[in-house]
Amino acid sequence: MNQRRLPLISGEWIDRSQPIEFTFEGTRFTGYVGDTIASALWASGQQILGRSFKYHRPRGILSLANHDVNTLMQSGQKLNIRADVTPLEDGMTLSAINTFGGVMGDRASAIEFFSPFLPVGFYYKAFNSKRLFPFWERLIRNMTGLGQVDFSTPHIRTAKRYDFCDLLVIGAGISGLSAALSAADLGADVVIVDESARAGGSGHYQLGNDPLQLEKTNELLSAVENHPRIRLYTQTQAAGYYADRWIPLLDRDRFTKMRAKTVIAATGAYEQPAVFRNNDLPGVILSSAAQRLIYRYAVKPMNRAVVLVANADGYRAVIDLITNGVTVVAVVDLRESSLKSDVAQTLEQQGISIFLGYCVYEARANPGRDGVSAAVICPIDVNGNPQTGFRQTIACDGIVVSVGWAPAANLLYQAGTKMRFNKRLQQFVPEVLPSGVFACGRVNGVFEFEQKLIDGHRAGLEAAAHLGFDSQIEVTISPELESPSHPWAIVEHPAGKNFVDFDEDLQYKDFLNAAQEGFDNIELLKRYTTVGMGASQGKHSNMSALRILARITGKTPGEVGTTTSRPFFHPVPLSHLAGRGFTPEQRTPLHSRHVKLNAKFMLAGMWQRPEYYAQSGKSREECICLEAQAVRHQVGIIDVGTLGKFEIRGADAAEFLERVYAGRYSKMKIGTTRYALMLDETGVTIDDGMIARLGAEHFYFTTTTSGATAIYRELSRLNTLWRLDCGIVNLTGARSAINLAGQYSRDVLSKLTDLDLSSVAFSYLAVRETHIQNIPVMLMRVGFVGEWGYEIHVAADSAPALWDLLLEAGFEYDICPFGVEAQRLLRLEKGHLIIGQDTDGLTTPIEAGLEWAVKMDKSFFIGQRSLQILAKRPIKQILIGFMLDPNFQGTPPQECHLIIHGNEIAGRVTSVAFSPILNRHIGLAYVKPELAAIADLISIRLSDGTIVSATITPTPFYDPETSRQQEDVTQLQEVTV
Amino acid sequence: MIRRISPNHDRLQSLNGTWRDINGMPSLVSIPGDDRIVANLGIADLSFLTRFGVKGAGAVAWLESQKLEVPDRANTWKPLPDGGIIARLGLTEFLIEDSLHSSFALRLAEACQSVPAKVYPVLRQDAAIVLCGKAIQDLLRQTCSVNFQALSLAEHPVILTLMVGVSVTIIPILPDRYRIWCDGTFGAYLWETLLTIAQELGGGVVGVDRLI
Repeated sequence: MNQRRLPLISGEWIDRSQPIEFTFEGTRFTGYVGDTIASALWASGQQILGRSFKYHRPRGILSLANHDVNTLMQSGQKLNIRADVTPLEDGMTLSAINTFGGVMGDRASAIEFFSPFLPVGFYYKAFNSKRLFPFWERLIRNMTGLGQVDFSTPHIRTAKRYDFCDLLVIGAGISGLSAALSAADLGADVVIVDESARAGGSGHYQLGNDPLQLEKTNELLSAVENHPRIRLYTQTQAAGYYADRWIPLLDRDRFTKMRAKTVIAATGAYEQPAVFRNNDLPGVILSSAAQRLIYRYAVKPMNRAVVLVANADGYRAVIDLITNGVTVVAVVDLRESSLKSDVAQTLEQQGISIFLGYCVYEARANPGRDGVSAAVICPIDVNGNPQTGFRQTIACDGIVVSVGWAPAANLLYQAGTKMRFNKRLQQFVPEVLPSGVFACGRVNGVFEFEQKLIDGHRAGLEAAAHLGFDSQIEVTISPELESPSHPWAIVEHPAGKNFVDFDEDLQYKDFLNAAQEGFDNIELLKRYTTVGMGASQGKHSNMSALRILARITGKTPGEVGTTTSRPFFHPVPLSHLAGRGFTPEQRTPLHSRHVKLNAKFMLAGMWQRPEYYAQSGKSREECICLEAQAVRHQVGIIDVGTLGKFEIRGADAAEFLERVYAGRYSKMKIGTTRYALMLDETGVTIDDGMIARLGAEHFYFTTTTSGATAIYRELSRLNTLWRLDCGIVNLTGARSAINLAGQYSRDVLSKLTDLDLSSVAFSYLAVRETHIQNIPVMLMRVGFVGEWGYEIHVAADSAPALWDLLLEAGFEYDICPFGVEAQRLLRLEKGHLIIGQDTDGLTTPIEAGLEWAVKMDKSFFIGQRSLQILAKRPIKQILIGFMLDPNFQGTPPQECHLIIHGNEIAGRVTSVAFSPILNRHIGLAYVKPELAAIADLISIRLSDGTIVSATITPTPFYDPETSRQQEDVTQLQEVTV
Repeated sequence: MIRRISPNHDRLQSLNGTWRDINGMPSLVSIPGDDRIVANLGIADLSFLTRFGVKGAGAVAWLESQKLEVPDRANTWKPLPDGGIIARLGLTEFLIEDSLHSSFALRLAEACQSVPAKVYPVLRQDAAIVLCGKAIQDLLRQTCSVNFQALSLAEHPVILTLMVGVSVTIIPILPDRYRIWCDGTFGAYLWETLLTIAQELGGGVVGVDRLI
């Protein structure tokens, strides 16, 4: 059924040889390839395409330019399809969104009867009552929404990409094409984008039956398409403008971040509706939409039209309607007089009545309420007020509106363009453009075809000159003969329903009431009325709202000003925003080994680290416990390659370390290591690690896993600042590290190296460079987990081989890989704190019990001065160890649980775990110093409010004499509480 | 015993390819059908090549004393005799990577056992990748914000930038051949991400025999 399809139109977009079947609201329809959903439905006589957001009034085609937000549809899992521009696809199963019972019999349209109870600012008034807040929230949530989300919809990883050009022309209309050609001819690499399916803009449909214009447009387009330096992207939207001419371009399949050296906004203008009663009826249509229907889709917009005009475009539209079989029963011109153009004379000769100084007072619905039955017109006085005593009713089935334009200047605003209101044009036009940004065409206030060609040429030349191409700019633009926009195409009506904003169903009276309630500033008015806050972002309503406010406040539109335009100015599909993202992650060289050992990974910063190694039939806790016990009783192996690893060489290397760390290193013996604590300028503990002296001017040192990147950056900065004779090399990724710990660690290692591992030759905290089966390694005898152990540093590419060797050698000792959780437990037993877990952004070494690592008698180190000041003040908290009763049953405390004393917060837990070797829960906590006496009880409040008692205990909990590092001691020791 | 392992080794193991030990590292040298891919968009692992890094105010003089022709500008590179690359990563930092037929890196590493003042050797354990084929720019545009087509390859540019969020060094050797180095710990992520996009573009993994 194609009852409104016209005979073949030259240049039509549809392919009549390819019919398409689809359904809308359960009814089968036919269209053609090249149709949009709306054009196919309109061609079939279906005029109600959707329902309005608030009153659920029937709505049809308004702009056919990507702004008809009352005709959003759903097709399967695809939501909010814009019917006015979305290409029709075979087999679409479409339904209108936001209806209750279908688009033709939407039960929610009963809301309109309650419209007197839904005043402007309804949301604010409704939610003002706390008591009624939940009621309104539930009701509004149930009533509103755009489509039904199917949560099984697959996540579409929409591709993103970068692109570059000398000149980005936004808008492939007449001026945009002209600009692109002019710049490209001078040598610029040009990209031109247009949201429409085909380029050419209004040159293809605002014809006034002028074949010459069509011919010129096609010539221009052909030149652009064949130009070697022009890339033309259609169905691509420039959705925003960011600093340095960075423009997000959106097409159906991807999101492109375009970096352009220059930008020309040839974005055109949005045709504006007139405000009169029932101006939202299906069949009340903008003139450009009617022309698009005709020339793009060969669809007759209506049979009998009343045309409301206030500019030359309107008369051209009348000609196009007549030429294509529409009976124009009257032309209603808001102006007292119009230019006696050839068009007007032609109309008069054809007997078409032209009502000068008249308005459409109201549109009347047909009995089916799916269209127009008549237009009621009347004269207007000089102030635009309707003279209702002279009303006339003219039967028609459509009203075409051509009363003015609003510049599509959103991107120019975002670019920082200063705009001014041109009273003669009744339009905001660019006054001061940012460097490298240009404008042409309608957005620049140039409307006539030939003038747009010239204006585009000028902009192209200016952009080329900005790019450094030799360009002679001597162009004159003739002023418009008549204003393209009427200053007041707004008609009051006592019965209302004269809509200003179709997105939010805002009527003329809403603005009067809002202003009366004090919201008489454009930004306040916007937020109170919600004008321009719907899905079309005010493209059809902002200018009218601005004019209304100007009239109410006695200002000019220029004085009222516009609201802020922010990217994205047009809704962007979430699939594009949530498309492919990049989240880097780091893996140690041993990752595949951990996978084979059934590791369960956790993220530590960007690192994938084994949290523990899963064992069949055992819980996570059991696995961690077994790993810890293996280290205590046999030997364990852990990948510590995530540690920050650095090398510093040079005559001033020791001096550098003295300055950045709180300890003393200049007198370290070669072949030894020492704990190192790093503070910031305020004396706060920020990192720790081990420093190994490998030579007189050569040190190797480690940092925490999370601190590596930031510490390297800071050390590099300090090295540049201090100009010391030393160089720092970041080896974090280039070196791997493995910790072999436990009483048999030495036995395992001795199978693989000739190095004398005796405690005399290789004592605790010593460092040695040697080989393990021909693999060069560095061994540090350290004991973070409290056992005899070796931290083995090796080149990353050799780490897997070394790991394999160690596991093989340790097999006879039941060597057990252990993960981060077991390591945390083991170090807690030893009372070693973790920077960032047992410290925070305010913790000083004094509070953390790390004074022993701070040498205040040094001449200088970062944080020293602050510590000197802090040392004179009483400390507010101190880190203590605590234990729960061995017989404790129930929920144990967790990290961050609070210490309570006399109903006051007296501290917090930083670490807590069940120690299998001590057979009780142990932990670290900060408490007020006066509560920190050994053997005192502290009260810990759990999440459910329960209080658990714990006993303050000296640390280390395990092996306080460090006897595990001595050669002849293997007995376990436990602190007696 | 195989000792060296590429950061990308695990990503390549599932491919039904042919392996060969190169510089002590198992390396994927060919994959059935990679001859069809290589012209469009191929990605190959070159981590097996030996390389050496050095930085410091004395680095230029020291490298010249080792009979190496040093790039005279920061962020440029020069070819080494018998293939290979010397890249100047900044004012005073250098990456030297051998070809299969040269051994500068090993020689410099040995010479570095005793280096003069202000010369600091840098252990290089990079994930090293090569991209090839006519669709390289499509891949780069999806992964990196640098406009590579604006570069003059005759000037031998070296680009230090971010690619898919990872710090990388990129050298466009030819219009259809780009070298990429990154910290080996990011290698698996970079490889997987680039390969996913390359496959969308009709590309895939190729063996190094297609390229060297």
